[in-house]
This record gives sequence, C-alpha cells and structure tokens, in this order.
Amino acid sequence: MRKLRAGLTTLGVVIGIAAIVALLSISQGLQDSITEQLQTGFATNTLIVSTGGGFGMGAGAMTATESDFKLLVNHTQIIDEIEDVDMSAAVIQKPGCYIRSGERELKLTVVGVNFTKYANIYSGTFVAEGEEIPLNAENETVVVGKRVSDPWDNGTLFCDVNENVEIKWTNITSIPIYPYFISRNETYTGRVAAVLKEIGGFGIGPSDFSVYIPTSQAQSFFGTDECDTIIVKLENDDEATIESVSEAIDEAFSGQVSVTSSTAVLDIMSSVFSTVELFLAGIAAISLLVAGIGIMNIMIVSLMERTREIGILKALGMKSRTVLSIFLSEAGIVGLMGAVIGIASGWGLAHVVARVFSGGGGFMPAGNRAAAAGGMTINPVLTPTVFLGAFAFGVIVSVIFALYPAWRASRLKPVDALRYE
Amino acid sequence: MMNATISVVETINLRKTYMLGKVPVNALQGVNLKVEKGDFIAILGPSGSGKSTLLNMIGALDKPTEGKVFIEGVDVSTLNDNELADLRRRIGFVFQFFNLIPRLTAKGNVELTMAILGLGKSERRKRAEELLETVGLKERANHKPAELSGGERQRVAIARALANNPKFLLMDEPTGNIDSKTANEVIELVKRLNEEKGVTIIIVTHDQQITSQTKRTVQMLDGLIIKEEVN
Repeated sequence: MRKLRAGLTTLGVVIGIAAIVALLSISQGLQDSITEQLQTGFATNTLIVSTGGGFGMGAGAMTATESDFKLLVNHTQIIDEIEDVDMSAAVIQKPGCYIRSGERELKLTVVGVNFTKYANIYSGTFVAEGEEIPLNAENETVVVGKRVSDPWDNGTLFCDVNENVEIKWTNITSIPIYPYFISRNETYTGRVAAVLKEIGGFGIGPSDFSVYIPTSQAQSFFGTDECDTIIVKLENDDEATIESVSEAIDEAFSGQVSVTSSTAVLDIMSSVFSTVELFLAGIAAISLLVAGIGIMNIMIVSLMERTREIGILKALGMKSRTVLSIFLSEAGIVGLMGAVIGIASGWGLAHVVARVFSGGGGFMPAGNRAAAAGGMTINPVLTPTVFLGAFAFGVIVSVIFALYPAWRASRLKPVDALRYE
Repeated sequence: MMNATISVVETINLRKTYMLGKVPVNALQGVNLKVEKGDFIAILGPSGSGKSTLLNMIGALDKPTEGKVFIEGVDVSTLNDNELADLRRRIGFVFQFFNLIPRLTAKGNVELTMAILGLGKSERRKRAEELLETVGLKERANHKPAELSGGERQRVAIARALANNPKFLLMDEPTGNIDSKTANEVIELVKRLNEEKGVTIIIVTHDQQITSQTKRTVQMLDGLIIKEEVN
C-alpha cells in the first residue's frame, strides 16, 4: 500500500509536469512554425480592403457592415490612384465549389485573382512548383494549391499540371416575395497551368487549399463584379505609409470599407497565441496545483501514520530539523521522480499530439480567408528553459506543499507522539 | 561546596498538570527525587500515580509545569529544542511497548540510535553486534520486530537504549508485556548491566520480581512520593 501510495503521489506530479511540458513544447513548436511561415507567408507591405469586418479588428469594421455598399473589382482603379500604393488586386472568393478530376471530386474555395498582380504582391507564396505561373493568363487557365494537387500529402495526385479539371458551383438566386430559390449548376472547365509550392497553414493570401482562376473568368463564371477583398501593395512597409494609405482608402470609400494591414493581423495572431499559451500554461499549472495538494494530503496521512515513529526518533534524540529534512527530502524525491518521468512523458505526449494534428490535416478544404491550421506540421520544441523550469517546478511544488506537514512533524512533542495510537 | 558529588538525576518540587479533555489532571504534585551514579531504582505505584509522567520528565521527553529537573547538574528547563535532542541521545529509554521501528531489523534498530548520534557505519555495525550479543540476540540480529517474541523485542530495545553509552537507563514497565519466563531473562540482564557495567537504572514497574532485585524502591501515589526504601 505504501508503495502504491507513493506511486500515485508521484503520478500526480507526473501528470502536472507532463501537461506543462507537452503544452509548452507544442506551443513553442507552433510558434516556431508560425515564425517560419511569417517569414514567407506574410507580405508586410500589404493592406487588405474588405466590406465587412474581415479580420474583426480592422478599422471601421463595426460601421461598414450594415450598408448596401459592395466592393467591386474595378474599385482597384480608385485605390491605385492613392499615393504610396504600388498596385492593388481584387480577390473574388467562392467557397463551397466542387472541383472534379476524373472520378474524384473535392470541395474547396475558388479564388479569382489577377495572376500577374497576385504573384507580384505575394512573391513569397504565390509561387509555382515547377511550371511557371502564366502571367498573362489565357482563358480557362487554373492554378491550384499544393493540397489540391496532392490532397493526401502522399504523392497520390488529385490533378497535375496540364490536366483538365472541372469546377462546379451552384448558383442560388433567391426570388423576393416568394420563399423559393432558383438553383442552377454552373460548370467551368480549365487546364491546370501550375501547382503552387507548399505554403503551410498560416499566412494571408495564397492558400494550399484553393483553386485560382483569372479575375475576368471568375467575374463571368460567378456572374458578378463584386469582389471580397482588394489586396493593396504599398511602396514600403513603414508604419506611416500603412497608416496614411489606410486612411486614404477609408476616405475614398466614405468609411464603408475596412482596411486591415498584414502587420495588424500579425499582431492579432501573436496576441491570440500568447493568450492561448497563457491559458494552456494556466491549465497545466492547475493540474500541478492539484498534484501539490495530493502531495500535501499524502504527507499529512504519512505524518499521522508515522507520528509514533517520529516520537521514537525524537525520543532517541533526533533533532527537529532532521525530522523536517526527512519529510522534505521525501517530498523532494517524489517531485524529482515525478519531474523526470513527467518531462519524458510530456515530451512523448507532445509528439503524439503533434502527429495527430499533422495527420488530421491531410485534406481540409478550409476557407483561406486568414489562416488555416490544417496540414500544418508542428515539431514540438523543448527549450532548456522549459526543461529546467519543469524540473525545478516539479521539485519546488512538491517541497512547498510538503512544508506544512513536515513542519508539523518536526514540531511533534516526543511524549505526545509516543502516546499516539 | 554544595555539589561535591553531582547527582545523575535530581528533581526539585516537580509538578505537572495536563489537560485530559477539559479536565486538568495533576499528574505530579511536587516530586523530589535524587538518583546517584550506579543506582538501581524501582518506582512503584498504582496506575495514575504519576510514575510514567515522572519518567518522561527525567527522560527529557516532556516539560514540567513547575519545578526543575537537573540531569548531571544541568537544568533541563534551560535547554532549547536542539540541546534537548542532544541530551536525549545520552539517555537510554526502554518503553513498555518496545517502540521499535517495524521496518528495521533488530540490528538496524540498534544502529539507528548510533546513526542519530553520528557514528560511522562500520563502528555502528560492530557495536550493534556486540550489544545484541550482550542481550543474547546474536542469532536474531537480522530479524524484524514482527518476527521476534515480546521478550526478544524488549531485549532489542534494551540493546538500543545502551547503544550510545547513556548516562542512565529509564525503563517504563519493561516486563509489562512479556511472559514471566522471558521477564526473568530481562530482569537478569538488567541486573547484570547494573552490577557489572555500573549502569544507572530507573525502572517504573508493578513487577514484584523486579522490585526485589533493585537497590532502592520509591512508592508513588497521587503524584507524590510517599515512601522510599533502600533494599
């Protein structure tokens, strides 16, 4: 029973430490992989203009939503006039389209963009693998993301360059007055001109999960002149430029659009991540607190059980501080063993979780609006700080929670302890 | 000079009141006792007369409410926690219920006291073996208390009490929990220790067999010494 109890106490510490190590090493791995993404995925000299509160926190997001204002493809002409704007590109997005190649079909987002401009703006991510992206895109040209070409990430291709694919979407028109809809299937056949290089999960703009067609094609295929966003490339990424252009755009559209800068998105994302990390660390800390209370509980039980023994030892002349240190070092050993096993199992857990994350993202037709976490590879990172911190934390928590019982034990009067049954 | 010879133990007007639940119990009501080196004293008295309380005071396990205990001339009440622990290392205590550490072997229990004193391992082992031989338990040295009989356990406890060359031996009803045959062996051992090795011994007991062997008997009743006899 004694061994079982010591084992269970240690298990409490193991779970707490494992949780901390797993969470922190995963979030560190996540951060590393985001940082890597940011170096390529975020064009910091871009602004995103949209009608709604596209990123939630964009300037004017709250005021622009309720109007009839529509952002049109040719609004790029207005934006191009603004000082410090290099170029702008309209983006038409249509989620929920089907793409068919042979017998297989995928559901994903079709994006209409000007390939030339898009490749210029997102020079880091809108890059083809092998074949060049046709700059002066002919009709029926299609560019697909990496995960569209190779959805299962195992070399089994869904479609490849120079193959024809069929894109379908259901055009639903609602008729006013009557509660009816007219739905019509539209089909578009295109030739895959290029496959994008793998981008990864995070970033604004190009996505591994999208199919790209030229703007004009999208306009006629989707029967609209509206666009979802206009991407604006600035002359530089100075804060002053970002601010002045944002204001100018806002003014040009009488405050009916929201303008979000990539850097703002970056800030939001990093603040979200630090919040998430804090939250996870909090959960881990709670589990360790529970472990600590478990240790305290066990030490108190052990104290009661050994009261007589303590009495004997004190009657034989053992000093109070020796009794104290015996109790504390027992807790320290529990903490030490818990920390070692906890770090090892936390590290293992982190790898299991990371694999589940990565494996589960084989094909996720996520909207590419801001960030899609699917298909992202996380390599857990155990920094020396986390390692030593977890180690110290395990031992310190154990010892701290043992302080009270140990103190009680050391204060026992031999005559009382000997009388204890 | 007043203290030409310093008594091993001297109590002066010793009083102890403790609370039994909410009722104050006057366990000692002014005990004066002197124990000289080489003494062999039996303290007698009905239960509740304060024998064990007196023994705890002399053994520095408990503090008096009033009065003083001197051990080799040192006033115990002036000692701090640490100094008390040091003092206890030089007092051999044999308890009625043996109070051996169940996890340790007989030898381990004897070594424990020496370990507390800070003796080295080889020295401890050698001395523990000698002591167990003295009490006639050489063959049982590696047995745990649960595997020993009551008499054997009490002899281990005596070996343990002797390990640190104590100033005196305090025994609280050492034969109270063993059969009369083994009790005889224990009494013989104790007597021999006193006669041959000159160990000062104070025994609290009901046992007539013991009182007939001691040099002095002290009768207690209601927290007071009512009679002292030299045998």
